[in-house]
Amino acid sequence: MSFLLRLLAALALVVATTFVCFHLIPVNATTVALGYLVGVLLIATAWGFWEAFAASLAAVVCFNFFFLPPVGTFHIADPQNWVALLAFLATSVVASRLSARARQRTQEALHRQKEMESLYALSRAVLLTDTRQAPAAQIAHRIQEIFEFAALALYDCSTGEVHHSGKEELPVPDDQLKQAASLGIVLIDEVNRTVVIPVRLGGRIIGSLAVRGGALSDTALQALSNLVAIALERVRSQEAAYRAEAARQSEELKSTLLDSIAHEFKTPLTSIKAAASALLCTPAPNQEEQRELLTVVDEEADRLGRLVTEAIQMARIEAGKIRLNPELCSVESLIQGILKQMKSVVEGRSTTLSIAADMPLIIADKELLGLAIRQLLDNAVKYSPPRSPIVISGEKTEGSVIISVRDQGPGIPEREQSRIFQKFYRRADTPRHVTGSGMGLAISLEIVRAHGGEIWVESVPGQGSKFCISVPRVSEAMTA
Amino acid sequence: MSASRILVVDDEPQIRRVMRTTLAARGYEVEDARSGEDALEKLRAGRYDLVLLDINMPGIGGVEACRTIRQERHGLEPAIIMLTVRSAENDKVEALDAGADDYVTKPFSTPELLARIRAALRRMPLTGLERPRINLEDVEIDFGARRVKRPGGEVRLTPKEFDLLHYFVAHPNKALSHRELLQAVWGPDYGDELEYLRVFINQLRKKIEPQPAKPRYLLTEPWVGYRFHLPQQD
Repeated sequence: MSFLLRLLAALALVVATTFVCFHLIPVNATTVALGYLVGVLLIATAWGFWEAFAASLAAVVCFNFFFLPPVGTFHIADPQNWVALLAFLATSVVASRLSARARQRTQEALHRQKEMESLYALSRAVLLTDTRQAPAAQIAHRIQEIFEFAALALYDCSTGEVHHSGKEELPVPDDQLKQAASLGIVLIDEVNRTVVIPVRLGGRIIGSLAVRGGALSDTALQALSNLVAIALERVRSQEAAYRAEAARQSEELKSTLLDSIAHEFKTPLTSIKAAASALLCTPAPNQEEQRELLTVVDEEADRLGRLVTEAIQMARIEAGKIRLNPELCSVESLIQGILKQMKSVVEGRSTTLSIAADMPLIIADKELLGLAIRQLLDNAVKYSPPRSPIVISGEKTEGSVIISVRDQGPGIPEREQSRIFQKFYRRADTPRHVTGSGMGLAISLEIVRAHGGEIWVESVPGQGSKFCISVPRVSEAMTA
Repeated sequence: MSASRILVVDDEPQIRRVMRTTLAARGYEVEDARSGEDALEKLRAGRYDLVLLDINMPGIGGVEACRTIRQERHGLEPAIIMLTVRSAENDKVEALDAGADDYVTKPFSTPELLARIRAALRRMPLTGLERPRINLEDVEIDFGARRVKRPGGEVRLTPKEFDLLHYFVAHPNKALSHRELLQAVWGPDYGDELEYLRVFINQLRKKIEPQPAKPRYLLTEPWVGYRFHLPQQD
């Protein structure tokens, strides 16, 4: 309600009181004066001092005209009535003054309370900031939501970005925000109702905040800027902590990887060292002994060589530099070759090879696809009981050839089946003696994808696992 | 003297092959097993003087197998040498704690392994003792029969534990340096393996002391070594 309207309403109340007392209920002058006084107090409490003051003057005029003898004139006969009239005026003015002030205090207190509540809401919202997304933008948005500014902008010195929020256009150019931050000054534009304040953390300025509309006290605005500073700093320190944690994890990963690679390499190295040193310390070894030991050295040197090649290939694939050297090959001879290389690994187990009759040829990089299949075979050996059989099979479907390795291990629960192909993923229940880099299946996945094929696992816990690789079939025309 | 029988336990076939060839060429009788379970079965069936045991195997690992061998009775206690790829200190202690007499870190050189095997097979001659049998309160130690009796029953000592105890009893009430003990019991190639002594003394204390935490007989001589306190016997 506008001031003018309230003024008219106040006057109307005085007129109404006069009407009631003069025409409807005849009362004595004292009662009338008290009636006016009550009206004035009500107006002061509800609207403020000036409305009440106007009502007081009107009441004095009406009192004089209608109730003080001689009635119907502004003349006052009895000088005692002058005293009464002035006393009434003084009382009503002072009372309205007091009650208006009390009202104003109450309003200020309510306003403060609202500010405090908003600040509290913001401080809670700040704690929930999602550090993975642009935090400054989130903070700007939250402030706007909570304080209901018409427009708002937050400048973050560390990123140099200005984040806007709010329904209206902010009449403050970005440069002005940056200026406020670099000079540390408060810019107030009364016409546009905008304020720009620097955001300080300790003595350091880390940004600036511009708001339009909203009726924040200076104290609240200062508190708001402090909260923004804390929020930005909190996000920053959290990021730093995350980075440190990530670095630590990657270090840990590297050392685990190195440990397991070292172990893989040490196995053939141990055999070679033992055989070679045995030969050296025997002055005259018999021929059979010599031959046996040299065979071990030879075979294990090959194995070591293969490990080195694999490590290099893995590093290359890891770096995303997979390069195929495709050639036409038969699935059977590919698998036979792998089994020959892995003779000592699958030793003591029955390995069944079942290849469908008329298997079509495939186009593949023999070495890389072989590496992928070796990983599956290696896993089958590592994760199944020592003497349990392993079945390797080759089948053909409409458009592809499927090579699978089936073991009688503990199987893999469904929720883990997709994760085992992730890099460095190792199941929590991996037995202690099983060494591995956590890279095997991830490498196989890369290789198979490069061939345009797919890799998956079919497994039921307790019933073993079957790892399958599919490779697209070569069209008849190409093999003809 | 008949040839010592050695059981080689390793899941890696090439290592077994090298060991079989080399050890057989040196006159040992060699058998092999590819897992801890296999080894236990073979040990139950026959007598072996020494077990070469890989620590890292599928199924029950080497440490577990070693513990089981020490718990079960196989006639004469075989000596056990553990083969480990890791040289971490707690791995060694774990191996010795489980009852191994010695360990060798892979990759090893064959002459070194042979020396260790000889040391492990070495039994101290049971001479030089005034009494073949002594009593420490409730504990009766019979060196002739290689037996220790306690109120709860017979306590089993591994060969090296027995040799160590034997050396102590032969040199009572005298501070013995670490080096002296190691060389006397393990052999002249030893001398710096303080952790061996730590583990073996602990084991012995558990077996012969009334209160192992407060030893009364096997006393530590700070900075020097150990001393065996032998009470005056009647």
